[in-house]
Amino acid sequence: MAEAPRMIEIQVLRYRPEQESEPVWQSYQVPFTEDMSVLQGLQYIKDEIDGSVSFRWSCRMAICGSCGMMINRKPSLSCQTFLRDLFPGPVKVEALDHLPIERDLMVSVEPFVKKLESIKPYLIPKEERTLAQGEYLQSPAQLAAFEQYSSCINCMLCYAACPQFGLNPDFTGPGVLALLHRYNADSRDGGKAERMEILNAEEGVWSCTAVGYCSEVCPKGVDPANAVNQNKINSAVDYFARFFPKKGGLI
Amino acid sequence: MKSQIDVKTVRRPYVRPMAGWWKGNAFFVRYMVREATAVAVWIYALVLTVGVLRLGQGEAAWNGWLDAMKSPLSLSLHLVLLVSMVVHTYSWFEIMPKTMAPMVINGERLSAERIQRTGWSVAAVAFVVTLLLAVWSQA
Amino acid sequence: MQVIQVDVAIIGAGGGGLRAAIAVAEADPALKIALVSKVYPMRSHTVAAEGGAAAVTQAHDSLEAHFHDTVAGGDWLCEQDVVESFVAQAHESLVQMEHWGCPWSRKEDGHVNVRAFGGMKIERTWFAADKTGFHMLHTLFQTSIKYPSIQRFDEYFCMDLVVDEGAVQGALVINIATGEFTLIQAKSVIIATGGAGRVFRENTNGGIVTGDGMALAYRHGVPLRDMEFVQYHPTCMPGTGLLFTEACRGEGGFLLNKDGYRYLQDYGLGPASPEPRNKAMELGPRDRLSQAFWHEKQKGKTVSSRHGEVVHLDLRHLGEKKLRERLPQIYELAVEYLGVDPAKEPIPVLPAVHYTMGGIIADGNTASTLPGLYSVGECSSVGIHGANRLGSNSLTELIVFGKIAGEQAAQFAKQGSKPALPTPNMLAQAQAAKASAEALRTSHSGTERIATLRKEMAQSMEDGCGIYRSADTMQATCDKLAELRQRYKNIKLDDHSHGWNTEWLLAIELGYLLDVAEAMAHSALNRKESRGSHQRLDGFEARDDVNFLQHSLAYYQGDGPPRIAYGPVKITSSQPGTRAYGAAGEKADAEQHAKESANG
Repeated sequence: MAEAPRMIEIQVLRYRPEQESEPVWQSYQVPFTEDMSVLQGLQYIKDEIDGSVSFRWSCRMAICGSCGMMINRKPSLSCQTFLRDLFPGPVKVEALDHLPIERDLMVSVEPFVKKLESIKPYLIPKEERTLAQGEYLQSPAQLAAFEQYSSCINCMLCYAACPQFGLNPDFTGPGVLALLHRYNADSRDGGKAERMEILNAEEGVWSCTAVGYCSEVCPKGVDPANAVNQNKINSAVDYFARFFPKKGGLI
Repeated sequence: MKSQIDVKTVRRPYVRPMAGWWKGNAFFVRYMVREATAVAVWIYALVLTVGVLRLGQGEAAWNGWLDAMKSPLSLSLHLVLLVSMVVHTYSWFEIMPKTMAPMVINGERLSAERIQRTGWSVAAVAFVVTLLLAVWSQA
Repeated sequence: MQVIQVDVAIIGAGGGGLRAAIAVAEADPALKIALVSKVYPMRSHTVAAEGGAAAVTQAHDSLEAHFHDTVAGGDWLCEQDVVESFVAQAHESLVQMEHWGCPWSRKEDGHVNVRAFGGMKIERTWFAADKTGFHMLHTLFQTSIKYPSIQRFDEYFCMDLVVDEGAVQGALVINIATGEFTLIQAKSVIIATGGAGRVFRENTNGGIVTGDGMALAYRHGVPLRDMEFVQYHPTCMPGTGLLFTEACRGEGGFLLNKDGYRYLQDYGLGPASPEPRNKAMELGPRDRLSQAFWHEKQKGKTVSSRHGEVVHLDLRHLGEKKLRERLPQIYELAVEYLGVDPAKEPIPVLPAVHYTMGGIIADGNTASTLPGLYSVGECSSVGIHGANRLGSNSLTELIVFGKIAGEQAAQFAKQGSKPALPTPNMLAQAQAAKASAEALRTSHSGTERIATLRKEMAQSMEDGCGIYRSADTMQATCDKLAELRQRYKNIKLDDHSHGWNTEWLLAIELGYLLDVAEAMAHSALNRKESRGSHQRLDGFEARDDVNFLQHSLAYYQGDGPPRIAYGPVKITSSQPGTRAYGAAGEKADAEQHAKESANG
């Protein structure tokens, strides 16, 4: 039996740089069913009411990381946030906090990508191995030591959550630092020394004040707050280690 | 129709202000309260430092300080400081799991809850023990 | 218009495109690479693949077994020499991924683990939890950052190829942020733009899977091969079509009808046993499982739900611990989107469109019929999937053929002479393409909404090119698509801005979808037999190896419907036989084994 759709109001913070100098709220009435996501609500608006509403999306299953936005002031993936939980509304949707709005619900992603590129986010093998020798050996326990941090979908919800990043856009930030940690914690990787400079910097772990909201909003359980804060110890040790002779000394 | 697009009018990223960023978000309010309790720690450290100084200045100075501590104003302040310290201690151990590398004990991951509860329990025990010592030393 | 010169242009930065870019960079760091993608690379649809990537790994496995499983799975429509080459390179390609950091799931001894998968005789599917595509894509993207010769054009939309002197000369791209056009002049071009599942109503695909590269090559005279073969994945979420990986069945899941009965045993896949058996029951090939669903539906044995008829994927007997460990993403999907706890209740599932077996014609070196143009991945028909793809072959395909495409494109770029600057003809093509796109963007006189045309196309494709097909419904779809292509000329946009005009891009994508859909529908109508995932109910229920052991080739004819021609299938060692699964399969394997032993 078909369900008669109820209506819900979705308010979208619009921004069309060719038309307006500042963002402005626009309201839409959307019919919805029990299993509709906010993303499907936005798609309805774009399909039937106003084709100019622009937003990123693709996979619809919280793995591509495209659809991050503020939903009722909380950084969320619109494909995984359901209208039934926000009824009766109104549902307020705006672009992710702390990032410049390019258009409507689309933020600048470039800053994030540049930071990601800066941390050497690739395996720097501890030892060489030819393809003919097959895979590096890695126990399930060794995999478990970094697997959680490798689950980051680059959705940037943690950047929208982090007030330190909002106050200082030079902060490398939770997601990228979690990815840096993913490589340091991989038993096959030997590039920790090369990445220390980024961790040690003012814009590295030391801009973090353990607010912890990043981990709260992360849709994949990466726990970036943990990745960053456990590295404060590493960074401190690295700092003090320079006072001790490296090899052949008393230590 | 212009053949050359003026990029500056087409692409104008809008930066939103940060003022009042923590208001209206329960998580951030809790964070700000947590950070503010550090001020209470600092104030109490000052109070104790003054006490130590007075102790070094002789019995009269010491007794004067003790009397000041017993005044209604001081007692009110100490109540506020006590509540702040409790919140400070609670939130300290609440965030502690985030500062530790994941630990695996007997094949199971040590959960954040266990770390927090251990910390709170130790703090509670220390509080009770200190209180008992204080009472016993008066007897 | 801005012009950029590079050696190799790669359109699409998913698994195939990234692997190709790395291959070009490693072949010669002096070659300039333009890696163009309409989305940031980590959004590419490779990210959604779950189950795993196949490669012969265990000592008791063999290249012959992987070859045979693939060719039989493809119902003998595969290019067998290419399959031979593919299975031989598979293992090394996945070891390369591991060396680049891919977090493959491991056995206790530290070696990479393998799991069972549909249609595979022996376990050979490497996996990274149940997010293999995600981990492979992120490994490739992050590794690609090492190579300074790869210049990325993130959020640049490719809207045409430029062809001159009978060879590809580059691509015309739009900077999505500003609406500016750039001609990327390249000595060779690799298309890696993915499949076209979005032509159908219910599908597992992301919004970006709109057949862009297929349509562009097609419009420039390159035939699209075997387009009628569209894979329905048997276990998808009702309503959204989101994927529940085959690994659910590899780990031992059951498919039950409304009587709680494992109905697959009635369709030549039995007998049912409590433990999973390779190539039997729930581990049969995808086309057979989807077809079984259709039959159960006809018999009224499926479960009615808000989103139509479904069956139950029962994972309860695996237990919560194993589910959370081996299928964590599936667990989350079921709980969050359906409110179903798989440890306590079965998950409602139905078949939805998942993969496009056909695509741009490609030889074993990924070369198309247009000199300088290569293709890799789902957009390409390199010949390994035939009429039905086996799960976990396509992720391996990206790595094996991504490498080959990169090396071939690099080699092509280095030999031969190309004009240093674009010729007047090339510039004229670019200007013409730009003009037509701009006309679309700025038109105020249209009457048809994009969504209306898109929904009519998707419904029509589901009706006519579903799991089972008949001449009358396929013809109706062909007619409908012709009508939609005409109505498309009257598209109405609300958004006329230059920058970030996602509606404009959706309109261009709809054009790609309609062209590709037409190639699919006409190819299907003309194949008068049933083979693999193309099954008919109108007198052509049997496989016809006499007339149709051939590839379909769809040639673009502009406004009119495509011309369908046929090309030979390369057979080396595997003569067309019966696809036998379940008990019949085991019997056939035993007979084959006995025969081989007897021959010494």
